[in-house]
Amino acid sequence: MKAARFDLHLAADAAEAVRHLQGDDAKPVAGSQSLGPMLNLRLARPGLLVDVTRCAELRAVTEEAEDVLYGAALTHAEFEDGALPDATPGWLAPIARRIAYRAVRNRGTIGGSIAHADPAADWVATMTGLGASVRILGPEGARELPMAEFVTGALSTALGPDEIVTAIRLPRRGPEARWSYWKFCRKVGEFAKASACVLADPARDEYRVLAAAIERAPVALPDPRALIEGRADPREAVEAALPFLSPERRALQATATSRALAALETGVPA
Amino acid sequence: MTAFTVNGQEVRFEGEPRTHLADFLREDMGLTATHLGCEHGVCGACTLVKDGRPVRSCITYAAACEGAEIRTLEDFRDDPLMARIRAAFKEHHGLQCGFCTPGMLATAYDIATRLPDADEARIREELSGNLCRCTGYMGIVAAIRAVLAEGPHARPETPARAPQIGRASFGRPASPAPAAAAPGPAPGSTRGLPRPLTGATVLAREIALPLPAAEVWAVLGDIRKVAACLPGAAVERVEDGIADGSFTTRIGPMKAAFRGTAHVSYDTEAMTGRVAGQGGDAGSRSSAQGEIGFALAGDGPEACRLSCEIGYRLTGPLAQLGRPAIVAGIVDRMLEDFTANIAAAARGDAPAVAAPPGIAGLILAALRNILPGKRDGGEAS
Repeated sequence: MKAARFDLHLAADAAEAVRHLQGDDAKPVAGSQSLGPMLNLRLARPGLLVDVTRCAELRAVTEEAEDVLYGAALTHAEFEDGALPDATPGWLAPIARRIAYRAVRNRGTIGGSIAHADPAADWVATMTGLGASVRILGPEGARELPMAEFVTGALSTALGPDEIVTAIRLPRRGPEARWSYWKFCRKVGEFAKASACVLADPARDEYRVLAAAIERAPVALPDPRALIEGRADPREAVEAALPFLSPERRALQATATSRALAALETGVPA
Repeated sequence: MTAFTVNGQEVRFEGEPRTHLADFLREDMGLTATHLGCEHGVCGACTLVKDGRPVRSCITYAAACEGAEIRTLEDFRDDPLMARIRAAFKEHHGLQCGFCTPGMLATAYDIATRLPDADEARIREELSGNLCRCTGYMGIVAAIRAVLAEGPHARPETPARAPQIGRASFGRPASPAPAAAAPGPAPGSTRGLPRPLTGATVLAREIALPLPAAEVWAVLGDIRKVAACLPGAAVERVEDGIADGSFTTRIGPMKAAFRGTAHVSYDTEAMTGRVAGQGGDAGSRSSAQGEIGFALAGDGPEACRLSCEIGYRLTGPLAQLGRPAIVAGIVDRMLEDFTANIAAAARGDAPAVAAPPGIAGLILAALRNILPGKRDGGEAS
């Protein structure tokens, strides 16, 4: 399949990219691993693509006291290979390694994945679970939104048509923090049919049990501490929180949640 | 305009931005080792190496490759590790129809260099992005295991674009400098000096000529006269033992016109000589390297014997048809014409055979000879 005609502009920096996104027919592109198939299938027919992979600030890692900012155009493979400083105790590489396939990870980017907002995408699930926020640049300047507010639904975000994601801000996690991520894939590398992540960070008093790959924005289950401490039944929590899922998908989701919780207990990385 | 390198060669892309890299490589550059399957990033057949990493070329747009370093399987022809992987695929029956094979090889190379300790489960996980329609995964996995067992294998160079760690420097253009192309031969000094001929197919032939050796040598000792005796060959200029020329041949439906340069040397005393050259055919994007050593010896006063050893190596799409049995057939037919012509030339006559070899029939004959089910003397049924 060949894509419909489009123009391509290679932006040298983020501000230039934003300038080229004026008009409703333009779309930013990074690794083109999600947009490319849609272009080739002609599901998407933008008139102009603005390539942001050469923007210096989108290829940078900025280490701050409390957070690490990851440039949006850093690739999954760069996370997988441990080429970047990790804000967490080694959780990012195993997440990255399970994204699609190596050839995809070599080009696909964290910012592109989050801006594309496929509900089953690993970064959408895990960055929400890890309490990340999204740094955005538009004609009016920069702004930042927590992941939970950034992703508004399946393939939809709070990003304006002339805005780009420049970085992901990830809070640092200490050695006492625990994390697990569990996903169901019918085949290695396929999009998940159900996924769950669990964060327990007593130092920051942050606890989260997240249901993702549910064909809409991830949902944080209520009373995560009770789930983490075994005082609540994950199946009941999933039943109550996700009534819109089909019985089959709900069953998968309940199992994914139980397994993610179990993995947190044993400390075995999911 | 987008500038990048393909297999070490600088290229400029000026086509439509929607052209994906695989189409550019196949259609504009004739690099057909890259296969296209699904064309939407699912099957992995089009996997090639960009900036040292395997990527899918059907969802990589050529216009977005500014400054990139692209390597297709053609560039791995002489890579020892890839040669080992190819041999392992052959040993373990790692391919059937061959459609997925280029992508499998690119991925296998990545596994062999990046994951020296991969066990079977990990190999299968890493291969999950490459689909084999023949479902021949057992052989592919076995081949990769065999290669890994001989490791560790050296990792290729680090990717060209390292992330910048530290504070972001806003506004600084990050376009990487285009990778330098492999330096070509300097014009003049090295012109015509052939690269060493490795992996050549060698044919030895001896022809008897019913003419005195001295008369034949008068033709053989002049490269222009030799070319005139070889249908399809043309010499444009000869300078300091270096000849520029072309050779046109038809192979079935394919036509190839190799243009190139040959280094010619003679030992008149011993009546021996050597022609070594290389050339390329723009049409089929194939290239050939060859070397002919020959010796003439008298066989009584009125006859002589010409022995020659012909080494050649074809690369590119033509090589797929240029199986040794077929090429040997072509060479024998050419030598037949050459023998007739050289005898005519030595007598001062016009060449007996002037048309380039009509090879279609020869190919068919050769195919019948090598295909199974051939019946000696029988009619094809």
